[in-house]
Amino acid sequence: MASMMRAVQEFWVLGLLGQMIVCGFLFFRGHYRKLPFFTAYIVLNICQAAFLYALYAHFGFGSHGARMLAWWSEAGTLILRSLATAEVLRVVLSPYRGIWGLGWRVLCVAFGLVLSFAAIEAGSNLDWAFVLADRGFHLAFAVALVACLLLVRHYSIPIPSAYKALLAGFCFHSCVVVLANTVGKTLFPRESAHYQPIWQAVTTGTYALVQVVWAVALRKPLPAEEKQQARLPASIYQQISPEINQRLRSLNDRLSKFWEPEVSRH
Amino acid sequence: MSLALILFFGIGAVLLLGLAWALWEPRERKKLGSDLGSLDECGQRHVDYLPQIRQALAPMDFDFLLKNASRDLQRRVRRERLRVALAYLAAVRGDFQSLLRTAKVIAAMSPEVAAVQELERLRLTAKFTWHYQMIRWKLLAGLAPVPQLDGLSNLVSGLSVRMEVAMKELGEHAAAAAKLASSVNGRGMDAV
Repeated sequence: MASMMRAVQEFWVLGLLGQMIVCGFLFFRGHYRKLPFFTAYIVLNICQAAFLYALYAHFGFGSHGARMLAWWSEAGTLILRSLATAEVLRVVLSPYRGIWGLGWRVLCVAFGLVLSFAAIEAGSNLDWAFVLADRGFHLAFAVALVACLLLVRHYSIPIPSAYKALLAGFCFHSCVVVLANTVGKTLFPRESAHYQPIWQAVTTGTYALVQVVWAVALRKPLPAEEKQQARLPASIYQQISPEINQRLRSLNDRLSKFWEPEVSRH
Repeated sequence: MSLALILFFGIGAVLLLGLAWALWEPRERKKLGSDLGSLDECGQRHVDYLPQIRQALAPMDFDFLLKNASRDLQRRVRRERLRVALAYLAAVRGDFQSLLRTAKVIAAMSPEVAAVQELERLRLTAKFTWHYQMIRWKLLAGLAPVPQLDGLSNLVSGLSVRMEVAMKELGEHAAAAAKLASSVNGRGMDAV
């Protein structure tokens, strides 16, 4: 247990160091102008780390009150995390107005749906409410992000590697938190105190790794914003799209009747 | 192992695979820009070769062979007909995918995209893929009435003609946008 606690502390320091490096790149490279919410997210995380350090130093690591305050402090960072992700996606999709319009709707619907289920589950199990709410948020976040990225791939829209790293980092960390919370709730239903250091080691370790990836991605200047792609009048899409769908529907009808005897044609 | 553990591990694995697939970019993958360059190819379609394919699959030829040729030759001809039918079906799918790619480019360049239309196209594409695979397997099993491939290609060629008109409009708009951009740049340089 003691070695686990030491590992948690080491990962925590590494993560904090990583965040400070990322923050440095954001300010000295001028990325904060392009990514204000992402910058705010990193700054808030550093502030949260200082707050948690003071909290645990004062109340002790095993204090119930300190743990509750720590969970509540997480709410602000989670909100900024969502805004930062939406911001990165907006930067990537800004030259494609129509797809961004579709993308943010996919993001909102997927996030809202999964989060609603998670809220119901967390509400029905008050002992584990914080863990379930945290898992639900990260699950909704990862589902929405992957759905939006699949949409981007569907339309063959290129994502610059720096933004890829930011989005992959967010998603990977969320998936790990979902799995860590599930293992904790399932395998240690009554002895959460035993699992807590393991949970912290896994999540802080992953977060430290993500900071390394982000620092590498942000050490170079971000790609210049693409100009708006040559845009078509909305009327062309409105005219062509339903017609394509009509043709595809007819084609599918023909295919489904492929094995029926054909009526004689004149 | 509880059900929840298996379920969430499954979801986590699917999400990580989805993330990797969404961000992975194969070398040969065409970007939107190169898709635009290839739009001119839309006019040339495999359905243009339909008369030749129909000639190759004509039942009269096969009836003649049944009466006059050896069993070996009949078998070889049957194999060749199947090969031609499969190659043709694959080519029609290629045309279908090329048209879908064009539809995606139009969507990407439009200022507004209707979610209902896009979702409907996804559903129809999934349905087409399913039907295509079924027909392919039945052809391979020797159950397919080969000449009916005709109906399939008529629809694709109809769509292709309509898309060519759209591509022409797209080209005109792109040229106008490029002209406008260059004139704006020119003015900017003059001012400096």
